[in-house]
Amino acid sequence: MSSAEPLVRCKGAARTYGSGPSATVALQPTDCEIWDGARVALVGESGSGKSTLIHLIAGLDDPTVGEVSWPAVGDRAALRPGPVAIVFQGPSLLPPLNVLENVGLPLALAGRPQSEVQQRAGAALSRLGLGDLAEKLPEEISGGQAQRVAVARAVVGEPRLILADEPTGQLDHEIGAVVIDELLAAAKRCGAALVVATHDTEMADRLGETWRLRSGRLEQGAGVQAWSL
Amino acid sequence: MVALTWIRGLLAHRRSRLLATAAGVAVGVALIASIGTFLSATTSKMTQRAIARVPVDWQVEGQGTVIPAHLLNQVKRYPGIREALPVGFADTTGLSATTGSTVQSTGPGKVLGVPSGYRAAFPGMLRSLSGRTSGVLLAQQTAANLHAKPGTRVKIGRPGLPPASVRVAGVVDLPAADSLFQRVGAPVGAQPQAPPDNVILLPSRVFSRVEGPLARAGSVRTQIHVKLSHSLPGSPSAAFSQVSGEARNLETRLAGSGLVGDNLGSALDQARSDALYAQILFLFLGLPGAVIAGLVTASIASAGADRRRRDAALLRTRGASTRTLVRVALGETALAALLGIAPGLGIALLIGQAAFGTASFGAGAAAAVFWAGGAALAGFAIAAAAIALPAWRDARALTVAGQRREVGRTTGGPWWARYGLDFVALAIAGFVYWQASRNGYQLVLAPEGVPQVSVNWYALLAPVFAWIGAGLLAYRLADLALVRGRGPLGRLVRPLAGELSPTVAATMGRQRRLLARTVTLVALTAAFAASTAVFNSTYRAQAEVDARLSNGADVTATESPGANVGPGASARLVGVPGVKSVEPLQHRFAYIGADLQDLYGVRPQTIGSAGQLQNSWFLGGSASQLMDTLARKPSSVLVSAETVKDFQLHPGDLLRLRLQNSRSKQFMTVPFHYVGVAKEFPTAPKDSFFVANAGYVAKQTGSDAVGSFLIQTDGTSPATVAQRVRGVVGTGAQVTDIVNQRKIVGSNLTAVELSGLTKVELGFALALAAAASGLALGLSFAERRRTFAIARALGAKARQLGGFVWSESAFVTGVGLVLGAAMAVGISEMLVKVLTGVFDPPPDVLSVPWGYLAGLLALVLAAVAAAGAATLHALRRPAIEELRDL
Repeated sequence: MSSAEPLVRCKGAARTYGSGPSATVALQPTDCEIWDGARVALVGESGSGKSTLIHLIAGLDDPTVGEVSWPAVGDRAALRPGPVAIVFQGPSLLPPLNVLENVGLPLALAGRPQSEVQQRAGAALSRLGLGDLAEKLPEEISGGQAQRVAVARAVVGEPRLILADEPTGQLDHEIGAVVIDELLAAAKRCGAALVVATHDTEMADRLGETWRLRSGRLEQGAGVQAWSL
Repeated sequence: MVALTWIRGLLAHRRSRLLATAAGVAVGVALIASIGTFLSATTSKMTQRAIARVPVDWQVEGQGTVIPAHLLNQVKRYPGIREALPVGFADTTGLSATTGSTVQSTGPGKVLGVPSGYRAAFPGMLRSLSGRTSGVLLAQQTAANLHAKPGTRVKIGRPGLPPASVRVAGVVDLPAADSLFQRVGAPVGAQPQAPPDNVILLPSRVFSRVEGPLARAGSVRTQIHVKLSHSLPGSPSAAFSQVSGEARNLETRLAGSGLVGDNLGSALDQARSDALYAQILFLFLGLPGAVIAGLVTASIASAGADRRRRDAALLRTRGASTRTLVRVALGETALAALLGIAPGLGIALLIGQAAFGTASFGAGAAAAVFWAGGAALAGFAIAAAAIALPAWRDARALTVAGQRREVGRTTGGPWWARYGLDFVALAIAGFVYWQASRNGYQLVLAPEGVPQVSVNWYALLAPVFAWIGAGLLAYRLADLALVRGRGPLGRLVRPLAGELSPTVAATMGRQRRLLARTVTLVALTAAFAASTAVFNSTYRAQAEVDARLSNGADVTATESPGANVGPGASARLVGVPGVKSVEPLQHRFAYIGADLQDLYGVRPQTIGSAGQLQNSWFLGGSASQLMDTLARKPSSVLVSAETVKDFQLHPGDLLRLRLQNSRSKQFMTVPFHYVGVAKEFPTAPKDSFFVANAGYVAKQTGSDAVGSFLIQTDGTSPATVAQRVRGVVGTGAQVTDIVNQRKIVGSNLTAVELSGLTKVELGFALALAAAASGLALGLSFAERRRTFAIARALGAKARQLGGFVWSESAFVTGVGLVLGAAMAVGISEMLVKVLTGVFDPPPDVLSVPWGYLAGLLALVLAAVAAAGAATLHALRRPAIEELRDL
């Protein structure tokens, strides 16, 4: 499902928090595009602006300068649930819903029938080998399991762009590798582009493209189809 | 040090959580302190009012051959006596007066010798109606019997001596005739003595001249009327003990030469049982409010429990010991308590000023310290129960990962539900209620003359267990609906949640503890507000019935005994401007066996509307049916339930009553037939009486004399019409109006205290209901902002988030109000039955204040709507900002 238009286009998009002397520039004006099938590792130190860029691309935040658009997808309202899915750094499962309901939530929010929601959520869990956890509550599973469930939730709606903000940041290396494996496999299965913010270079190497951020500035790297102004 | 840093952090970053808890503490403190103000103010007021309504504190009656002057000296020397004046009492064989060409005479009566200065010393004893206020005075009824007025010469019959003639200077009313002519030294439980019909009051000098010759024969008695120093304890019970003890002490000093009629002690005796009623009313009506205020506060505070646990877990990871965690929690407790206690006490002072007219927590310094300190302590306890206690419990078992949540898979219900304690509590309440509501039940027992008043505390168990059982049952039912009824719940919330309804139902089911607790609080606060309002409304309705029953009509003209005024006199009254109808009502006395009872002769065709008869006043038929029977069968009679029971009567039984024949003045037997029971009747006493056909009574006794005229107004103020009627009937009849009667009924101590208490209770009930619904829900939503923000980040639209918020709100409000309404019905019935002694007459049905209840409903809905709207408004922020802040 390739398109002549990029999935995301940032034109001079920048983000500053606060105002006046205490203002913090989280992201310098940035131009970049993400196309169908891309595998991008967004790397950089803590505070370099990785999460900010992910949030702008996901449409969760607005740039203070410049603009972000989704030419191949539509307007911001059409992003989620649907073409764009996100995996957060910390615990993001809804405590009152069990694992199956958490995974099915994007489908339910998209107005899919309950039977379809359950069937597809169950299938997503099974594909990740998490079928046994379906009836568990988030408080009853480990942090690694929770993050894998979050991956299942991200891919259940077969998005065109999967964004993951430090998905392995709170996991040990072994579990982190499993999560990255699952993200890659899921992206391949859905034919989705994948952007993963990480400070783990080993993980980044597995994605193919690497975009580096330094102090809020996106630097061009090997094979990176991006530029900063 | 850590605690101080933590408190600074709380003030900087957790202000809303701190202020919400402080607000809850303030409500609890204000309620308790207000009730303290109420109790102190009313008990003190009761003592003051009891003292104020006694015109003569003591009547010390000389015994045997005591010389009056000696007795007076002995009494005057007794400590605490402010005023002591001698009053002479003598019997007269009769009084007579010549008016025009006719001579009017009366039966035996009393002659009083009143010293100068008596009126000034005891202003409540004599009320001037016409003429001068000194000299020879005639009692109003005697003046009517003799057709006498100021200037008329009256002859005083003296046994064994020629009559003495005096000239009347004025006509007076004797408002305290019952106590003035009491039998001093009568044994406890003796029937009160009726005051004499004929009384003449002479100045002491004239009395000595007229009755002096009889004093030697021993037929003249002297009483020393005493006014005491009124520096008495505020509590009626303590004041009663002091006054009655002093009365007995004086009798001991008098060594048999005098007996004390302790009027002040009797008044205080009544006041102490009223005071006990005030305390019981506090327990029945106030205590549930205070407990509910504590629960609401705890619930509000516990809305932040998860956050506190997370905070504590973070501290624990930084190496904080259990002691440090407890200190931090105690610091937050103290801060929330202080922030709540100060405004709480301030609010209580304002309420005291507005509702009870006092800006103090108690009548004295000790009471003020007790109530203010007690309320502050309660406030601290509420804050500690909400913050410190859970923190201490958690700190002992807390691990970073082991934070318990409101959300979770709690298998099985709470421990008490497994043992069915809710059903056990309700069963106990039902059993006690059944026992307490049987015949002969009295909540407060105040045996005359006995220093201690006893309360049937056992009866209190009924509402206590009812509240506990109903609260627990509400929790169980809400819990059951959330756990077992997820399918139906999903269908119910579909209009609000649409396609997300299964997910919303699942979310609600997993938050069963939180939601069931909020439902229970809404139910309890709604039940508290509604039951207090129903109780208050029923009391007011009965007070109106009481006023109407006591007065008989808008305006009532009661003829003097012996006055032979026929029903034709109605014509004069009908012509008075503002009068709509006039109904003559006969009043006679009739013997049934040896029992003398009042008998009311009515015109059956017209009394129904003129007396505004209510069906609930009768048994054996409706008011109109029974009046119809009286009209069709003139010998029919309605009898009190007590008489039916005592004389084992059955409908249709022949009843031979003895009534006085107007010509022979002898009692004659008149046959009646018992057809029904009259429980209440206009102007009738509260115990036993008869209601019969006036025409039949007139025919049998040879007199159609009317006892009173029941006058309904055409909308003109009854007070105005009463004044006009007085102008027509003069001093020959006593004219009373319902406005004044309402004041009398409304100014009795119970009415005053209940009015104040319920005013405060109803206000707090509204605040608690709003807090339990709106604030508790709002805070619970606020604590779940992260959950909502994640849902938004996943793509939830505002409408879908609204589905979560409004579904929960609707469930909590709907189920809470339905359960609260059911609880209110049961609790109201129970309160009215258990506190039946407060009502006069006891109500047949509850009076429902629909206006207040509609206001309550509107307030709860508005609070919930505001909480939901505020939550959704807050969620308009970009989800990522919300997530970053949390």
